[in-house]
Amino acid sequence: MFGGLRQWIDPEKTPTVGRTPDYRFSLANERTFLAWIRTGLALIAGGLGCAQFLPPLPIAYLREVIAVALLVLGGLVALRAVDHWARTERAMRLGEELPGSRFPAFLAVIVALGALLLIVAVLLQSPR
Amino acid sequence: MSEPSAEWTPDHGASAERTRLAWRRTALSAGVVVLLAARPAFDPDAGPGLWITAALCGAGWSALVALAYRRARALRRRPPHPGRRSITAYAFVTVGLAALAGVIVML
Repeated sequence: MFGGLRQWIDPEKTPTVGRTPDYRFSLANERTFLAWIRTGLALIAGGLGCAQFLPPLPIAYLREVIAVALLVLGGLVALRAVDHWARTERAMRLGEELPGSRFPAFLAVIVALGALLLIVAVLLQSPR
Repeated sequence: MSEPSAEWTPDHGASAERTRLAWRRTALSAGVVVLLAARPAFDPDAGPGLWITAALCGAGWSALVALAYRRARALRRRPPHPGRRSITAYAFVTVGLAALAGVIVML
């Protein structure tokens, strides 16, 4: 991931062998990046919302843990978005296969686990 | 590379327009984050810590809006250049917002 660090800053410089791809593909890659950033921003907003609008949960600090987990996930999504954008840009310049990624599946599993945790918390609270 | 190459297919700005709108949309989503981040600072018992973090979040949002504006302007070129530093900077400011939001949650 950090081998491409220079590429994050200047993706046009690194692959000297490559050539500028059709700008429509670059722009599509950019829109995908922005969509991921919006996903990250939504996670951050969700984290702030959890901390501010959830009542105290039955397990001590569960609310804060959920909020911080969402914030960390949001930051991770943003970092991964720029990495994936740079790698895709590079692959397009070199005419290589576009990079695959397991990250969307990872994110889905984490969010599903978080939702399950919240359901458990709600069920624990309701009998009172 | 800024020269329109032989195989440059003009698409009458449709993809540039979509990209511009995506930048605007993203800056607006960031606005929601900043509003949520600023909310605790208006609490009567809020201390300077919350004020400062909320102000920093506001500054981060200004940076995001400025970057989106800059990139949207750059997209006016035909054919537009692929994005570079604005994209990286945007991602890092977003990570910074996440960190500031963490501070707000802890305070």
